[in-house]
Amino acid sequence: MEMLWLVVLGTLTVGYFALAGFDYGTGLLLPFRKKDVVLQRMTPFFLGNEVWLVAAIGVLFAAFPRLEGELLSGAHSVFTLVLAGLVLFMAAVQLRLWWWLVFSGALMVSVGWGLFLAHLLHAPVYVALVMPVLFALHGWVFQTRRWKLFPLTALLCALPIPLAFSSVSTNGLMAHSDTLGLLAWVAIPIIPLVVLLQWSIVAISSR
Amino acid sequence: MSATDLARLQFALTTSFHFLFVLLTLGLVTLLVIMQTRFTITGVPVHERMTRFWGRIYVINYALGIVTGIVMEFQFGLNWSGLATYAGDVFGAPLAMETLIAFFLESTFLGLWIFGWGRLNRWVHLALLYLTALTAFASAFWIMAANGFLQHPVGYRVEGNVLRLDDFSALLTNPTFTSALMHVIFASLTAGGVFLTGVSAYHFIKRTPETDFFRRSLRMGVITTALSTPSLIGAGFAQFPVIAQYQPGKSSAVPWIGAPLGFMIMIGMTLTMVSWVTLPLLIKDAVIRMRFPLYLMVIGIPLPFMAAIFGWMFREIGRQPWLVYGLLRTEDAVSHVDASQILLSLIVFTSLFVLLACVDWALIARAVRRGPDVAPAPVSPLVVTL
Repeated sequence: MEMLWLVVLGTLTVGYFALAGFDYGTGLLLPFRKKDVVLQRMTPFFLGNEVWLVAAIGVLFAAFPRLEGELLSGAHSVFTLVLAGLVLFMAAVQLRLWWWLVFSGALMVSVGWGLFLAHLLHAPVYVALVMPVLFALHGWVFQTRRWKLFPLTALLCALPIPLAFSSVSTNGLMAHSDTLGLLAWVAIPIIPLVVLLQWSIVAISSR
Repeated sequence: MSATDLARLQFALTTSFHFLFVLLTLGLVTLLVIMQTRFTITGVPVHERMTRFWGRIYVINYALGIVTGIVMEFQFGLNWSGLATYAGDVFGAPLAMETLIAFFLESTFLGLWIFGWGRLNRWVHLALLYLTALTAFASAFWIMAANGFLQHPVGYRVEGNVLRLDDFSALLTNPTFTSALMHVIFASLTAGGVFLTGVSAYHFIKRTPETDFFRRSLRMGVITTALSTPSLIGAGFAQFPVIAQYQPGKSSAVPWIGAPLGFMIMIGMTLTMVSWVTLPLLIKDAVIRMRFPLYLMVIGIPLPFMAAIFGWMFREIGRQPWLVYGLLRTEDAVSHVDASQILLSLIVFTSLFVLLACVDWALIARAVRRGPDVAPAPVSPLVVTL
């Protein structure tokens, strides 16, 4: 049971990070590329990754209730940075008044995730820069349509997750099997369905 | 201020901002379902243009509302880790259901609806909107189930120093949930109706040439308001016996708790009365030709939103000093973090949410001022500002 939920949580988190390169990566590359063109290309993917984040946190809360609070409140200010970046990024992309606001939002989110990773691994702070670099790289591959490199950079963006997971022990922190059994009926069919639907969004929008 | 006070204030502000977006989302999606169904069946272009115009406003509001929801969700873990530790097994179940069955699917269906415009079979496209609306209401269902548990905990057993899920169906038949759910649903329909009415009235004041378009929208808004307000008030009053039975101290939690309740009831009564008086005036467009009611309709747009915030204030402040009624005190659930950290996040989020509400306002106002498209244009939330 524990393994199953780690896999579910892992899948959702990987989904978020692998898709994150599309919009945060695009945001990070804004100073160097044609703004209208790259934002246009990002459109079908905008918000696509945040739904994975919301689902991941929901599963974290219900399946690992005694881990969730520790994990989040233990890095309170880091998450303040991540969330502030998210709000700024989303508002700025839609407002489209100042491109540097889009860039700042993307930078805040990605540095924030980097700081959280460094915090989990007890690594020095400069390790945090790994995330913006990876997101920017993934964004560049996406924007320049180098599809052969694509699985590689997606994998690189998702790589910090098993690393982070290995540093956390879930022993005794999981929900009771009554709760987990109930949630399994929901989580397991929904994830492939969302993958399929998101794939369709990309497919029809590029038609 | 202590960490508890700051965390409470932050929760109140985040929830209030979030709920403003939610209310309009739920209200508009229901009306969109009606508009697009009429278009799909009859094929009359005005219905398609209505779906497009109101759909664009809906999508702007949805996309910006998501962020407030993300902050809401993180906040449980950031500031209230004691809640997950103690009651996560039970409270977490409906919360996770909401993120998975409702939100996760809702956003994806909506994405397909947005990008499938003109590219999918029109019946398939309509089905996507139905699914979006259905999952949106499922979202309200699960969140209210989670909230109902905080008001009146059921379906649990105590094991050591934590709660375990004992009977999930008890959570779904919880009287503090079922009565409040209907109230919230009719509140959102009222908000949608009043919004449609007000925006259409604005265009009549501006003398936009699109009279047929906004005449239909105004009628739809007034009729929606008139039909939903009596049920809204009914579902509201139906909660009093439930409160008397399960939360007898609710009306005396703080001395001023009667004020928001009173304002909410006043707004509800006013909207009911005004919408029913307006109904006969729809005949031969009397209400439009009289002109002065149009100004009242515009001024009235914020009323359902204010009433909703007042309602939540009564419900949530009245729960104090408990987080989970009778089981977990609010002060015992706060995370072990420095008050200064909570203060920082409070300042950051509050200022960003004010900004977000302004952006939402500005983008919706821009879409409203532009009026309906003459030539068809996509509904993407991003294209609107290009």
